[in-house]
Amino acid sequence: MIVKVNKEEVRIFKGATAKHAILRYILKKKMEISALDQIKVFDSQGHKIGDDAPLKEGQSITFKI
Amino acid sequence: MKRILSILLIAIMGMANAAFAQNGVRASYKTDINIVSVNDVHASIENMPKMAAIVDSLRAIDKALMVISAGDNRTGNPVNDMYSDPSYPMIALMNQIGFTCSTFGNHEFDSGQEGLARNINESNFPYLCANIFPDQELGIQCEPYKFFYVKGVKICILGVVEAEFGGIPSTHPNNAKGMKFSQAEEAIRKYLWLRNECDVFILLSHIGYDEDVEVAKKFPEFDLIIGGHSHTQIDGGEVHNGVLITQNENKLKKLTHTVLVVENGKVTGKSATNIDVKNYPKTNVAAKCLVDFFSDNPEFKRVLAKAETPFSSYEELGIMMCDALKDFSGADIAYCNAGGVRFEDHPAGDFTVNDVLRLDPFGNTAVVVNVTGAQLHDMLIACKSVDDHGFPFTSGMSCEVTYTDKNRSGIKDLKLFGPDGKPLDLKKKYKVIANSYAIITSDIPGDDQGEDLNIGTANVLMKYLEKKKTVNYQGRKCLKENF
Repeated sequence: MIVKVNKEEVRIFKGATAKHAILRYILKKKMEISALDQIKVFDSQGHKIGDDAPLKEGQSITFKI
Repeated sequence: MKRILSILLIAIMGMANAAFAQNGVRASYKTDINIVSVNDVHASIENMPKMAAIVDSLRAIDKALMVISAGDNRTGNPVNDMYSDPSYPMIALMNQIGFTCSTFGNHEFDSGQEGLARNINESNFPYLCANIFPDQELGIQCEPYKFFYVKGVKICILGVVEAEFGGIPSTHPNNAKGMKFSQAEEAIRKYLWLRNECDVFILLSHIGYDEDVEVAKKFPEFDLIIGGHSHTQIDGGEVHNGVLITQNENKLKKLTHTVLVVENGKVTGKSATNIDVKNYPKTNVAAKCLVDFFSDNPEFKRVLAKAETPFSSYEELGIMMCDALKDFSGADIAYCNAGGVRFEDHPAGDFTVNDVLRLDPFGNTAVVVNVTGAQLHDMLIACKSVDDHGFPFTSGMSCEVTYTDKNRSGIKDLKLFGPDGKPLDLKKKYKVIANSYAIITSDIPGDDQGEDLNIGTANVLMKYLEKKKTVNYQGRKCLKENF
């Protein structure tokens, strides 16, 4: 399925969580994987969500380190 | 005399209100309904004694406090999930706190039909879910809704769970056999008549924040939606179309205290505040004793299989993990990132639950994907490129990898071989299984990105070892490395 992380599309497996999508984004951007330990994740409305929140097709999330 | 008469009059009015409420007639006085709600606790039993202390404090103010869970009480902590009776620790703690009700989250199904039926029987509170239809012989006891009579107010709580995983909640499909599910919205429409039968109408939802907002837009009949599933932290609650929506991030970091002001049979005020559970300064001692008891669990020493010979490399243990995944799923090929194997030797003899949890501690799940041999070739290279521990281990195939240098920093050439030792057909499609981390790091080419089987890889390995009873991986190889 396709979701958006920080406005950019990433492809992930069905049933993936926010952490999986962000990991995919981090790898795509060639960022350090260790950044995953310090992230704060938000939904499209700006609510904080857990990093193992389930995602659905087309969902948008953002994260901050 | 006048004073006695006044007291009698107040008592009679109180009884009459309660009786009216029970008969569907609206309460005719003003009162506050206090509700503590949690969602997606995911077996964070370590935070339950603090939650119990918060509930104690609120009950000191209002004995009629309702304590409600929006589901996913379990899954996420081996102390709970690997207990001999899976999820009993959470249920014992919820019973001790005195929960009023819960709905099902998708993870309530993770122990299969028998496990769910047993968990329900162990719970001192009802499970409310209007869009589940289990076969009668499964013995799964739940109700679509329930009326609660609190301080003379008639409260109706309707429960729903998400069914977005091919028409079932997100759990392994085997866990939902014998159960049918309808979409949450369909169930809500069916039960909207309940609005006219109560003073307070609450939706207890495990369908996610976005869906809760949609429900609020379509069905202003609800006074409150207590939500779960999307792990959304809603500070102070949100009002959409007049409906208050609450939810918290997962793992019981926070809970919501909602106050509904009910006046003459109608909700005239509503507010929600979040209480920080994790940093709450008090602990309920009885709940803490239960947590300590469950944490000292002999289950972790349970022998799953006997290792006939010692394990002496990451590769041998990695192949066993891959064999377990392949055996569980019927896939052609399984692989595991090298860093996903957490120790490299193990003596002959007992292989216990604790050994599995040490070997595979990350809480990864099993993911299946259909790819060609050529795509798998590229996936394995991508997986290795972000793993300093080495090349992935496999089952159902073997690999010959030539590195650019002795530090394994780059791959010059990779050859894949089938179980017969012949080169793998690069054009053929294979059903491949791996842990969720390996799948994400493999940068799968093509549209099929795979599907989560909703089962932990540690759990898969435990099932495999129990099935095999004895294992022998001495000298097993899946990888030839050239420098």
